[in-house]
Amino acid sequence: MTRSVAILGAAVLPVAKWQRPRDAELQVLEQEVLAKVVIEAVADAGIDKSEISSLAFAQPRPYTQQKYFATFIANYLRLPCTGSVQEVLGNGMTAALAFEAAANDIRLGKSRVALALGINFESAIPAVEHMMNSMRATGDVDFHAPFGFTPISWYAMDAARYIHEFKSSREQLASVSVKNRRHAALNPIAQFRKPITLQEVLAQKPIVEPLGLYEVPPRGDGAACIVLVDEDIAKAAGKPYVRVRGKGFFHEGAHQINEVPNDMIALMSAQRAGQAAYEEAGIAASDIDLAELYAPCTIIEVLASEALGLVPRGQGARLCSEGVTSLGGRIPVCTSGGLQSRGHPAHVTPFYSLFEVNEQLTGRAGERQVAGARLAVTSAELGNYNAALVHVLEGVR
Amino acid sequence: MTLAMQTVDRPRAFPPRMTEFTQRFWQGLATGNFETTRCEDCSRLTFPPKPFCPHCWSKRIAWVPLSGRGKLYAQTVVHAAPLVFQGEVPYRVGVVDLDEGLRIATRVLADVEPKLDTAVEIVVLNYRDGPLFAARPLL
Repeated sequence: MTRSVAILGAAVLPVAKWQRPRDAELQVLEQEVLAKVVIEAVADAGIDKSEISSLAFAQPRPYTQQKYFATFIANYLRLPCTGSVQEVLGNGMTAALAFEAAANDIRLGKSRVALALGINFESAIPAVEHMMNSMRATGDVDFHAPFGFTPISWYAMDAARYIHEFKSSREQLASVSVKNRRHAALNPIAQFRKPITLQEVLAQKPIVEPLGLYEVPPRGDGAACIVLVDEDIAKAAGKPYVRVRGKGFFHEGAHQINEVPNDMIALMSAQRAGQAAYEEAGIAASDIDLAELYAPCTIIEVLASEALGLVPRGQGARLCSEGVTSLGGRIPVCTSGGLQSRGHPAHVTPFYSLFEVNEQLTGRAGERQVAGARLAVTSAELGNYNAALVHVLEGVR
Repeated sequence: MTLAMQTVDRPRAFPPRMTEFTQRFWQGLATGNFETTRCEDCSRLTFPPKPFCPHCWSKRIAWVPLSGRGKLYAQTVVHAAPLVFQGEVPYRVGVVDLDEGLRIATRVLADVEPKLDTAVEIVVLNYRDGPLFAARPLL
């Protein structure tokens, strides 16, 4: 019998361009920033530092000079651990895998309190240089990269296919950005908060057609710490907490494209991982009150919403344009502002999703609060949703 | 079937690495041959070519020619590119479903946006330092 896991506290750095250029005299260093976030998260949980016995880190970007970052921080924060100290990597899924690693230590009884944490600093590295790295991650170095595919070019091709198959429109897809900016305007930790109009989104320069600047993720830096505990500790804490009620994982055994032609925009991995998470939680998609999805581009929010059963297939973009996925709509999606507006420090992005869900399910989301929110779903992915990790979380008050 | 060939008077921006095994593919491509591997046990094709079958893990594989014909499944035009491709922006890339039932990703040669599901053919681009392949709409 495994133990039940709860989130008892969390803290994040507002997403912004924090990293200084390499030649700047004064640097903003990852350890100083992350330590502040960890101390804030642990204070939020109301636990003592001595109770922490596992640390699961999202691996930093290659630009972080300090290597073996996890063990470095165990020293920096003086955190002896009896469970585990590790650093995990899985492209965009990295932080969700770190969360799972921390949760597993609690499930197995190896730890009663575990931190899932990390920092992603990259914004001072020019995009053209950063893409020399990222194009080797999202494609076969010898059979894709030589043609010039970039990470988001795959999502753009999903958009082309979606418009082709479902007669959706550029405008309907672009409405996702408008909606997400409206949400971010209410979120103090979001990177971009000034409201934008549909016309402004459509008028931006193209990045990967048909997607323009406001429909793809901005570059930014972030740091986060989630405090996971054995649910017995959460129950005894006498304050609202979030229970990890279900999880699902699926990797389709393909990298960017499936060499056996399939329905690329069905996001089969999100479907399978979602079904597994709902099944473990004993719920249906219709029971979900809000969703915080890993969706770098507008189209991916639409496809993931459909794959997770939150909206019907082929209708996600239209329903977004009609307000169904807005705050106040039937199923609010990305109340944080999503990856386009809340921001996308990729290796820690799934932590920000969990942070938003924690705020919502404990009733602390302020003007973004979804009234009576009790059940939420989060997703994380890698590649072109070739793999997905989905969590169902429940607020306990 | 031999592919149409075009000469490109510059080196490839990000050349693929060649192995003892894949050199047959790249050297064949340079002379207009588009080949991959098929499993002699389960008969399934794979792309890129591999020294084993990814489906059944048999090591009994054979090289077979591909028709170089297929349909354009998806496409985009890249405007924001990595450093080495800066001189080529904007450029068109796409996903092609070959007639043999294999999905590949490649450059797409078309001045105007081709409709998806359009029939395409694979062509060879012979750069100064070696070949790449690309897809273009069939006339």
